[in-house]
Amino acid sequence: MPFNFKPQKFNASIKTVEIGCGDKAIKLGGESVFPFYTFDGPIENAPKVGVEITDMGLINATPELIAYYGEGASMADMAKKAAAMEGADFVYLSLEGGDPNGENKSVEDLVAVVKEVADAIDAPLVVAGCKNVEKDAELLPKVAEALQGKNVVIMPAKEENYKAIGAAAGLAYNQKLGAESAVDINLAKQLNVVTTQLGVKPESIVMNVGTATAGYGYEYVVSTMDRVKAAALSQDDAMLQMPILTPVASETWNVKESVASEEDSPEWGSREERGISMEIMTAAADLVSGSNAVVLQHPQSVATISKMIKELV
Amino acid sequence: MAKFVTIGERIHCISPAIKEAFATRNPEAILKRAKEQLDAGATYLDVNIGPAESDGPELMQWAVKLLQENFDNVPLALDTANKAAIEAGIAVYNRAKGKPIVNSADAGDRISYIDLAAANDAIVIALCSNGPIAADNDERMVHCQTMLEHGMMLGMEPTDLWFDPLFVVVKGMQDKQMEVLEAIKMFSDMGLNSTGGLSNNSNGMPKHIRPIMDAALVAMCMMQGLTSAIVNPCDQRLMETIKSCDVFKNNTLYADSYLEL
Repeated sequence: MPFNFKPQKFNASIKTVEIGCGDKAIKLGGESVFPFYTFDGPIENAPKVGVEITDMGLINATPELIAYYGEGASMADMAKKAAAMEGADFVYLSLEGGDPNGENKSVEDLVAVVKEVADAIDAPLVVAGCKNVEKDAELLPKVAEALQGKNVVIMPAKEENYKAIGAAAGLAYNQKLGAESAVDINLAKQLNVVTTQLGVKPESIVMNVGTATAGYGYEYVVSTMDRVKAAALSQDDAMLQMPILTPVASETWNVKESVASEEDSPEWGSREERGISMEIMTAAADLVSGSNAVVLQHPQSVATISKMIKELV
Repeated sequence: MAKFVTIGERIHCISPAIKEAFATRNPEAILKRAKEQLDAGATYLDVNIGPAESDGPELMQWAVKLLQENFDNVPLALDTANKAAIEAGIAVYNRAKGKPIVNSADAGDRISYIDLAAANDAIVIALCSNGPIAADNDERMVHCQTMLEHGMMLGMEPTDLWFDPLFVVVKGMQDKQMEVLEAIKMFSDMGLNSTGGLSNNSNGMPKHIRPIMDAALVAMCMMQGLTSAIVNPCDQRLMETIKSCDVFKNNTLYADSYLEL
């Protein structure tokens, strides 16, 4: 019997979320097919790659990364180089220095960093808080206010603080909102429900449904993203049709394969190469599982993953 | 699996307010009932204009346009004995949110309603009867086969015939309840869609009992594979049961606010 190709059609699609302004603006989502299923239908907006920089500069960075940005680079310089990295679609600024259990930088200081970065680039920007829910509830509304008109993503809005962050980013200052859950599909949906009940438009929300580094309980990530896309497309679940943005580097550069020094684990070879491998493997897996954007750190990872996307879409 | 489809039954000319609204073309009562049902979670709305012998086509067109213009092209079930009225309604019907449903055909005098649905690319509710209630499931399934073949001969997709086993009243036909449930399982095993006026089971019972019986029955029916029902969506207990069963059947993904969706 001859092979009879029958594309899988859905009467539903992932919502399109636009980030940034002008020529450099990008669109996430919009597709009506599973990840990279271009044989079933077009993928108008290919997955995007973001480059992570942090207000902490180059602490713990590998030699190649330091060489890329240059020792002692200002935040503005780092932002420009991140935006110029081969394969980069957007810049992701993490404000980890705000963590009260760490540097505990003030909201004013961090907003100043955000403005310095935003003024230095015309690439789309994602600003991530320090992950402390109380501090982020205070910090991120100020960031949203400071970046009015730039159409940035403000994240993470979590179960504990979505009201403060959602109201500021999604309603008052008309930014995009990143809703974050930690590999918990029911919570991922619930967060979208309550955020939209707050009045935030579904087209203004992206999801970070969480990731793990490949090899660290990664199966749960695959099944979560798979189930999100299945609900979004085959069950037309409007509360799961938001595109997925996955910060990868912050996970993968913290596992032992990426951290262990060459002195401690000589048999593992170059730390830099190990870290890049973990980053690339995880990002590739996230993309085929359903991420519409991944956030990476190393220039080699960014170039490799963006090439992979170009070849597949 | 797709979510259970609820067809709201409250725009029915048996209600004096609706009958009056149809007669005088007064939108108010109709829009109010439509909004109540949609807010309560109905997917489709049934529009029963009665026999409408004199002005059926014109009345149905008025009702279809009124509802779809006011409620974002809400999908509708067109419910009348007047075939010309159903055709006229479909002529002005917007399919953006779903095909129109022809309510209803049977395997007897009303079999030509299947022809009407086939000619207009509509869904049709197919009552498994040729007049009287089927005596047993052998008879029910003969009617089902007759209508299925009739529709397929006319080029219909089998899934566009929604088979109605005809729900029977507990007070008087208690011993027939399991048969109806078994018929639903047979439809489901054949891959067919099904629907019906499920609240018929509780006819004649005290008002506070009916939602309890209806909710219990809908849960049992969904277990058997019922894909839709014609219900009063303002019955909160019933709708909560349907949404909960949709979770158990993995038709929708659970979230803590699932009852609000």
